[in-house]
Amino acid sequence: MNNTMTKKILNPIINFLQTIGGIIKKTWNHKKGRIGLILVVLLALTAIFAPLIAPYDPYDVLQRGERGVGPSLDHLLGTTSFGQDIFSMLVYGARVSMTIGIITAILISFTGAIIGIAAGYLGKLPDAVIMRIVDVMLVIPTLPITIVLTNLFGKSYPMLIFIFTLFGWAGLSRVVRSQVLTIKNTNYVKSAELFGGSKWYIMTKHILPGVSNQLIMNTAMTAAGVMIAEAGLSFLGLGNTEFISWGKMLADAQSSGAFILGYWWWILAPALGIFLSVSSYMLIGFSLEEIFNPRMSSNSSQFKVLKTLSGKYIQELFDEMETIDNQGGEHND
Amino acid sequence: MKFDYVIKRISHTILIFLAVVTINFFIPRIGNDDPASRYYPPQIGTMTDEEYDEIKALTREQYGFDKSPVEQYLIYVKNLLSGDLGNSFQPGRPKVMKLITERLPWTLVLSLSTMMISSIVGIMYGTFAAKKRGRLPDTLLLASSTLLTALPAFIIALILSMIIGFELEWLPGYADPSMMTAFDWSFEQILNVIRNATLPVISMSIGGIVGYAVSTRNSVIVVSSDDYILTARAKGLSNGRILYRHTLTNALLPIVTRFMMGLSALIGGAVVIEKVFNWNGMGTLFINANLQNDYPLMMGVMLFLSSIALLANLTADLLYFVLDPRIMDGGRR
Repeated sequence: MNNTMTKKILNPIINFLQTIGGIIKKTWNHKKGRIGLILVVLLALTAIFAPLIAPYDPYDVLQRGERGVGPSLDHLLGTTSFGQDIFSMLVYGARVSMTIGIITAILISFTGAIIGIAAGYLGKLPDAVIMRIVDVMLVIPTLPITIVLTNLFGKSYPMLIFIFTLFGWAGLSRVVRSQVLTIKNTNYVKSAELFGGSKWYIMTKHILPGVSNQLIMNTAMTAAGVMIAEAGLSFLGLGNTEFISWGKMLADAQSSGAFILGYWWWILAPALGIFLSVSSYMLIGFSLEEIFNPRMSSNSSQFKVLKTLSGKYIQELFDEMETIDNQGGEHND
Repeated sequence: MKFDYVIKRISHTILIFLAVVTINFFIPRIGNDDPASRYYPPQIGTMTDEEYDEIKALTREQYGFDKSPVEQYLIYVKNLLSGDLGNSFQPGRPKVMKLITERLPWTLVLSLSTMMISSIVGIMYGTFAAKKRGRLPDTLLLASSTLLTALPAFIIALILSMIIGFELEWLPGYADPSMMTAFDWSFEQILNVIRNATLPVISMSIGGIVGYAVSTRNSVIVVSSDDYILTARAKGLSNGRILYRHTLTNALLPIVTRFMMGLSALIGGAVVIEKVFNWNGMGTLFINANLQNDYPLMMGVMLFLSSIALLANLTADLLYFVLDPRIMDGGRR
């Protein structure tokens, strides 16, 4: 008895971890995915060991170097016009970006999955109600509503994560729902229903694994999107002002006249931070998209099939088009 | 059948609009948006409690906050139907609608040119890349798309502003503050606007160009392998005609939706770009309203953006319906 209970609880967890492990392995074997994974791990390590990596403590108000100097050995990425070490700020900024990005993305995928599966599988009234709510949510512009809500309820990071989640799940749940609708009509779900499987059993055992690829891909992409949103919000001066974030560094640089003074390092450093962290998750997302959904990448298997099936004709078509274009003399390839 | 669909879409849109209006009305009222306590915080020693209460009551009456929320809501909806979004909390209490329509053209200059440039350039390059599939123009597109999607528009904007605007001084890196007040449709003024708008538009377009190009490329490749293209060839049509009449008209169908959806996202996203270039449009209006806790104005902008998104969705659906012969009853074009 006890044994079966633990099995019942442990099995889904083990399955889930195995799926994640399998996906990480697949991503690692993919060129883009491998770069993404390495970047994510490096950034995560930077965030965790920030105090060890950063040569100065950017939160220490008393610790100030020379003002507005360019990159040197003392200050790897120069200093701000207040004398803060930009490299240290960059390292600490990774904490905000990475934490907010990944936590929000997981929460959004979780919420989107539950709501999407419920809508798709339960159908009828729950579906109708949920989809109308989704329609409304998708129309409301995200950045402005985030600004309004942070004005009303404060700018703390938990609040920010909550608001991003509140307005982020809708798009995903629509995608999940449409996938559930196809899975619902497959024979294995039908037979599970005939054997008397409960709704809960079918949703967790059959539907969830069917949409899990989409969910994991979405988590990576959402993490990237949330990082951009958080950076934008901080850049507007409307994010959390207690912590050092890359968006806030850019805002400070702009308002302290880094452009006019020519302190390019003050702009480029946080910009690079944002670019690296966003692209790390996006690369993983793109590679998962190609792994799960091999449609258009030039080395995908489906593309090869397509090519052998009608490749001769397509090639001919494009070649002839080219001849026509060349006759027109319009482009110079 | 055709008529039913149109009616259904329009009534659906009206319902969502009503929901958005309701959310817009109640969101600020969840928090503390009482104009009286915003404008007259308790000042110890300057006035007696009675005087203070009297002033607060007067302010509430002036702003229509003395009525019950339901009454306020009905008044709000009634005014809305006659195009009145209420009065701003700013001194002189200007109409929200007037403030928005004053700034709207300046945001539209940016977002409409961005839409035009990114769709035209993107579609052209996408078709070109599809023709050259697997060769340099195509691989260049696919490689750059991964990098450029990870680069948020406002980072591109900051870097362009820094290099082209402030270092090289080719184009204004900060919008000319007198541009908007002095505008009088003279040739010089129009030229001035174009000069000032170039960098913002370029930075907003880059992501769009890549997006349009990739989806056009994929779409053209998929469509090129469809049966009806083969039929068209069997009919002996010229390749140019096949490309423009058959391949592109069908390949661009998904792009139409993207184009329409893009507008509201662009206007919303312009908020951050406007801050980079100090561009005095709707975004700046919204940010300033936020700093002054001017809820009627903020919610006005929000409602405005949501309405644009709704109208764009509706247009996209109806356009799709008109353009795609498969949706039409009888399959006639």
